Amino acid sequence: MTSVLANIGRRWLSLSEGVGQMTLLTLTTWWKFWTTAPDRIEFMRSLYKVGVQSFPIVVVTALLTGAIMVIQSGQLVAQYEAYGLLGWGAGYATLREVGPILIGLMFSGRVGANNTAELGTMRITEQIDALRALAIDPIPYLLVPRFFAIVSMMFLLTLVGNLMALVGGTITSQFLLQVDWRLFVWSLREYLHLSDLFNGLIKSVFFGIAIATVSNHFGYHTSGGAVGVGRAVNSSVVFSAVSIFVLDFVIGYFLP
Amino acid sequence: MIRFEGIRKRHGAEWVLDGVSFEVPAGSQLGLLGPGGAGKSLLLKMAAGLVRPDEGSVSVMGRDLAHLNEVEMAELRLNIGMLFQNYALFDFMTVEENIAFPLRQEGRLSEAEIAARVDSLLKEVDLPRAHKSYPNQLSGGMKKRVTFARAVARKPPIVFFDDPTAGLDPVTSSKIFRMLNHGRMHTETTSIIITHDILGLQGICDHFVLLDHGKLVLHGTREDFERSERRMVRQFWDGTSDE
Repeated sequence: MTSVLANIGRRWLSLSEGVGQMTLLTLTTWWKFWTTAPDRIEFMRSLYKVGVQSFPIVVVTALLTGAIMVIQSGQLVAQYEAYGLLGWGAGYATLREVGPILIGLMFSGRVGANNTAELGTMRITEQIDALRALAIDPIPYLLVPRFFAIVSMMFLLTLVGNLMALVGGTITSQFLLQVDWRLFVWSLREYLHLSDLFNGLIKSVFFGIAIATVSNHFGYHTSGGAVGVGRAVNSSVVFSAVSIFVLDFVIGYFLP
Repeated sequence: MIRFEGIRKRHGAEWVLDGVSFEVPAGSQLGLLGPGGAGKSLLLKMAAGLVRPDEGSVSVMGRDLAHLNEVEMAELRLNIGMLFQNYALFDFMTVEENIAFPLRQEGRLSEAEIAARVDSLLKEVDLPRAHKSYPNQLSGGMKKRVTFARAVARKPPIVFFDDPTAGLDPVTSSKIFRMLNHGRMHTETTSIIITHDILGLQGICDHFVLLDHGKLVLHGTREDFERSERRMVRQFWDGTSDE
């Protein structure tokens, strides 16, 4: 009985320590963003790695997502011959839910994992200590650019992804379901509202914050050599994915 | 210049440093000796303000590191160069960017002056054509020389060398010792050098500290070490063992 309680206590303390570290690191990152000029080269490098290098995969994922949405809703639409609702059905689901969630998960797997692995390797090879020894604060130098690159690029790529998903949906409806593309676009314009787009974009910002916070935290606090880096990457991807679904639920509940 | 006073540090249940006190006067070179796990690298990290002791105090240039805020610490670190045992080169930067990095961050020199300084340092460490290479394209010895160049790039008054000759061939090793000696003869640099190459160290250091299991065994000059009859000192200084 005592050992069970001790085990629960240890896990609780470890969880509290992790949450505390993450909160402190996030607050420090925000504080440094406002009080210290980030390194321009490092900021551009982060934007390039996070944004430009993710662009092709986001475009492919989004095109296919739009296509899948149309194929799935196409069966129901054909059953009721409600072809005028095809664009709305696919667009509504993509803009509000599937687009931000899929791009968020893709981002956490590609960008978040990469960020954690890079910071973790820098930690275990003493590169972060070397920065401090050279009188350079690693938080504004390494973490601030990554944080804001991930958040801003998550937002922009979700915007691009939404557009690509709608393009994918339009092409699929025309060539696979023989629904005229003009009817698909009319349905989008007639039934979708700006709030549908904003709903997804607001989610994307929160997802970006979650991915950046989690990946920075696990990377920056890596310990235990190469095994530790693997563990940190694993935790980062799992925590980011869980955070995305929790945030999606909360935001979906409160936003109209 | 650098003073350790009653330093204690615990890892888990074990004291990895236990009551270590000694001083390194300005302009002198101290050789820090001891078997692996004696706490040598930890002491250097404490002197650079990278690790805090659990008990005791570290003073550098008359300032107690425990009482410095982040900005004051950064200002103090501008006076310190550090060569890390595992290189710690930034792997996303080329060799020239690694060496130029502390100079660019300091912001005192123009780009032309930085380029000239990098050229001269790379010639000094015998890597005159390594500018555009990345650390992963270099051998261990070459990395060590680049990290040496980065540590001294700012010409800091204090330099910590954590095993600068580990894994190097004898020729490169003696070249590094020559550079360390040159630093001693021609500048007012204060340094602490960790190495297992006792012979190389004997010629360039003014005094030595021997640590074992986190405790200070002996602090003294070369003569003190040569005269000591303590078994641990004899073994380390003469490179002998019981068997």
